[in-house]
Amino acid sequence: MTNVTKYLSLVNSYSQVHLKLEGEKLLLILPEGDKSIIDWWSVVDELKCRLNGSDSSWKSGTRVELIANYALEEKQLQGIAQALEEFKLKLKLVCTSNRQTAIAAAGSGFSVQQEPHLETVVDSSQTQSQELAEPLYLKTTIRSGMEVRHPSTIVIWGDLNPGAKAIAAGDIFVWGRLRGIAHAGSGGDRSRHIVALKMEPTQLRIADTLARAPSANPERFEPEVAYIATEGIRLAKAMDFFKTHSFSETIGAWR
Amino acid sequence: MSRIIVVTSGKGGVGKTTITANLGSALGKLGRKVALVDADFGLRNLDLLMGLENRVVYTAMDAIGGECRLDQALVKDKRQNQLVLLPAAQNRNKEAIQPTQMKEIVSKIALSYEYILIDCPAGIEMGFRNAIAAAGEALIVSTPEVASVRDADRVIGLLESHGIEKINLIVNRLKPDMVQMNEMIGVEDVLDVLSIPLIGIIPEDKRMIVASNRGEPLVLGQPDSLPAIAFDNIARRLEGEKVPLLDLMAAQDNIINRLRRLFRT
Repeated sequence: MTNVTKYLSLVNSYSQVHLKLEGEKLLLILPEGDKSIIDWWSVVDELKCRLNGSDSSWKSGTRVELIANYALEEKQLQGIAQALEEFKLKLKLVCTSNRQTAIAAAGSGFSVQQEPHLETVVDSSQTQSQELAEPLYLKTTIRSGMEVRHPSTIVIWGDLNPGAKAIAAGDIFVWGRLRGIAHAGSGGDRSRHIVALKMEPTQLRIADTLARAPSANPERFEPEVAYIATEGIRLAKAMDFFKTHSFSETIGAWR
Repeated sequence: MSRIIVVTSGKGGVGKTTITANLGSALGKLGRKVALVDADFGLRNLDLLMGLENRVVYTAMDAIGGECRLDQALVKDKRQNQLVLLPAAQNRNKEAIQPTQMKEIVSKIALSYEYILIDCPAGIEMGFRNAIAAAGEALIVSTPEVASVRDADRVIGLLESHGIEKINLIVNRLKPDMVQMNEMIGVEDVLDVLSIPLIGIIPEDKRMIVASNRGEPLVLGQPDSLPAIAFDNIARRLEGEKVPLLDLMAAQDNIINRLRRLFRT
């Protein structure tokens, strides 16, 4: 791997859409990023993509609660409900601190829960210190232009295509070809790994380090693991990694 | 039940419109009732390729706005009478109509036609969203070039998230001689990234350009040419027939090329 000396800043591992199964109900959280750059189409696209990849994770007819604090119109809420319905999920309740969203939700016939202190649920600044959420399991090809972010480990049963990105605060497992960009330990954890059946990445990033693949990629047929060594990101055979390597907290690298 | 198929690629200039025109004509040859819908508002081309420019009176915009009846806007093809074209408005831009309006008009056409082929504009903005709104399945057009494959991959992702699951791939403009010499990425490499079913390969052919400029689809003008046979085969595959792929590499696999390849590697 060719390592680049430029260091990365920490990346928010929350995406525009976050799904969380809580008992019998599914929470759909739309975190409040930079409000000016929220592109509604991409929010809906991301929601559908996420539902598509993990539709086996819940039963059909599961009740969905939407948590969003930015202003949504009736049409946008209905768009969400429609997208959920395609995957046999029912939007029932809208939790929001935003007045306009509350009115729109009531107008569309959803139950409304107005709560001013919801920010704490999705505040990205404090998630790094919190314990990590459950892993995200996606059974789909992640195609060019898609970006999967998750505050824990991501498991992809499919390919990560060139032009696609996976960003996880935990590890990244690609049970297929990794050809796009993978960023593990995006919260700064240098002990994280990226594992792929076939490693042909555009870039690998772990915590604050970055490496790109050598221009002439040697053909290898074994699952590989990427990790931070003292001299930067390195690749090793995935099979025996833990027998031969251990993480040193003092130097912040595996050896 | 009619089939509504959007022809799309993401990247421009890979041959969406040419493929729509030829595939429509090929389905017409099989006796199907076909409607071609030009969804490229503001940059319409499909009427030119079909040689129907001088017959356009009303456009999709007029039909949507209620300024004419739908059957007035549908232009009958001059060669096949079971083939019609719904032209796009030339003076409007892509924001002029909404996906719901597109859906409405296409579902009206679907009442009387067996196949509806929608020619999608390049890009993934409003025009794309309009074009795919009504579609039940999609044909992805990609040339064997890295940029084209990348864009096709993006579009497949968007189609999947819109619930369109039946997606087939057409590889266009393949140059067998260049693939043979390892100068061009092959069909396998395209399939490797896109991982969707392949429904046909169209070889590069000068006659395609000539036919496009004349406004006469190659499928009808020169039915014995290799691209025309490839189009006919795609039409038959759409119909559910099992047709083996043309062996485009066969002509290249001669002794001289083998020797040349041997000395290159």
